[in-house]
Amino acid sequence: MKHNRAFYRSSLFFLLAICIGAAAIASLMLGSASIPARDVVSLFWRVANGLSSTEMSVTDHIIWNLRLPRTILALTVGAGLAIVGVAIQALVKNPLADPYILGISSGASVGATLVILAGAFSFLGVYAVSGAAFIGALLTVILVYMLAQERFRISVTRLLLSGVAVSMIFSAVTSFLVMTNPRAEGIQTALYWMMGSLAGAKLEQLWIPVLSVILGYLFLHHSFRSMNVLITDDTTARSLGLKTGTFRMLLIVVTALITGVLVAVSGAIGFVGLMIPHMARIIVGPDHKILLPISAMLGAVFMVIADITARLVIAPEELPVGIVTAICGGPFFIWLLRRSHYTV
Amino acid sequence: MRKVAFLLMFVLLLAACQAEETVQEGSQAAAEEQTVENEPIKITNGEEEIIIEESPQRAITMNQHVTEVMLALGLQDQMVGTAYLDDSIHPDYKEAYESVPVLADAYPSKETVLEANPDFIYAGWPSAFQNEAAGSREELKEFGITTYLHESSNMVHPELDNVFQDIRNIGTIFKEEEAAESLITDMSERIEAAKRKVPEQEEPKKVFVYDSGEDAPTTATQNFLNTLIEEAGADNIFGDIEKGWASVNWEDTAKANPDEIIIIDYGDTSVEDKIAFLEEHPVMQKVKAVKEAEYTVIPLSEAAEGIRAPEAFEKIVNGIYGDK
Repeated sequence: MKHNRAFYRSSLFFLLAICIGAAAIASLMLGSASIPARDVVSLFWRVANGLSSTEMSVTDHIIWNLRLPRTILALTVGAGLAIVGVAIQALVKNPLADPYILGISSGASVGATLVILAGAFSFLGVYAVSGAAFIGALLTVILVYMLAQERFRISVTRLLLSGVAVSMIFSAVTSFLVMTNPRAEGIQTALYWMMGSLAGAKLEQLWIPVLSVILGYLFLHHSFRSMNVLITDDTTARSLGLKTGTFRMLLIVVTALITGVLVAVSGAIGFVGLMIPHMARIIVGPDHKILLPISAMLGAVFMVIADITARLVIAPEELPVGIVTAICGGPFFIWLLRRSHYTV
Repeated sequence: MRKVAFLLMFVLLLAACQAEETVQEGSQAAAEEQTVENEPIKITNGEEEIIIEESPQRAITMNQHVTEVMLALGLQDQMVGTAYLDDSIHPDYKEAYESVPVLADAYPSKETVLEANPDFIYAGWPSAFQNEAAGSREELKEFGITTYLHESSNMVHPELDNVFQDIRNIGTIFKEEEAAESLITDMSERIEAAKRKVPEQEEPKKVFVYDSGEDAPTTATQNFLNTLIEEAGADNIFGDIEKGWASVNWEDTAKANPDEIIIIDYGDTSVEDKIAFLEEHPVMQKVKAVKEAEYTVIPLSEAAEGIRAPEAFEKIVNGIYGDK
């Protein structure tokens, strides 16, 4: 029996790995410019043989500087949002929680719209939008955290409620900024940002999200036992020797940092962080040891496919990927929910 | 081998011819307005400095008004793509427009832009340089693409001279200074002619610009349309708000009691629907302009900072003072 389960799991990993590979290759092949598959293969062959970017043709640039960074970013953001979703759902013990529940996306939105519509933070140059979004996200989490504190302890209910309240306030600030600038040029840009998009991926900046997600994953994986204990009630957790207060705080900091980085590079892509953990739980059950890697892999595959769709569906124009994640992911999730007898 | 050598010779010869041509054109320009020969042209575009070593041969234009500037200068042969019309292209340039591929109805994605292999991108609005469109100007520069952003579309209270400066800059970039100057002269002559129709008046006429919106109207504040209204000696009732467009309210609009309403025609709500809405609005129906049906319709493309300024201006002058 145990042997069977191990076999099931390893074949699941294998299958998902193949899916990731296939999706990534498809993502390099497909786009609004029609580029034959052999050109893609030949580019990678030439790069492996020392082709420098100054010698690249237009087609090469499209693959190397547009599609490749997008694909890597999609994998990273998908995996990152999924694992943060898992951690947050364990943290607040609420199936409706997603990475943005503590107000991160609304705080980041205020920062980004301030830059896009009002030209604030211009000293940050090309990093102004990302920088302001990251600052907005972190300030929000700190605010929420302080509001949720009660005699040096964090209560989950207070955390959730202050998250919702702060989100509402910041969403209103964003709406105010948008409303007072009707037909302003930046509105479309701001909307794209709020719905989330991977179109801004740049090869030389990719290391920041990639590194954050990898480090975050390592931390979460390292503490999978604590998360397993955390989803039981607090008394049980404490009797099992977990310092719930400290661990919760650590979890908040780590998830906030990862989400802040992801929101800064790709905007507030919704739904992935909420849905993927549940999908993974339906497939492998609630043990965080297996739940985390499976969620990360599912999230990565899902995001790459969503990004391909965002690029193709109204080509030669582009759709914000957040629309695709919700429209495609929603019905699939409902179907999955109806089919299984899943409860959290 | 001989074939190759022959081909090489031919290519070299061609290159030499072209170089000679540029030199000739360059010296012509030098004679006219003392540009330094053969040195790259430097143009300040907003906060960017653009350096043009050779005039672009593969330009892409995005947004209708800048596409029309290029076509009005007869540059269609140096264009490899256009994108994003507000309505239909000016009938005078329809044929030229159709000779250039349309990359997308709205903004094309980066891939589509790069695939057209442009050396120059001329955009009307900064949104053309967002990530979901052509990508940032810095990024495009890395791909060796020079970008120009229509300056007059990106300032508060643009004047006619700002539009002329944009046309002049494009003329310089493409070495079509003469065409640019004659276009500017034509435009200013038409505007001056229309101005002569403006009668002497004690109180300036009050104008309300109705862009869209039912709960709260969106109106022109200090944008180009406002400038044209001012040039016509009239007074835009919301012309004191220091940005391009604003969401205002019906209360202030009705209280100002405008003599004329300029309706901007675009999008899915027709002019008829907008007028019907004003006539049924409990407060607006009492306003002078609505009671006397004083409406002037300006298509969105004419409200833009481009070559249609004289047409828009004539309509505004006729609308406010005409036939009385």
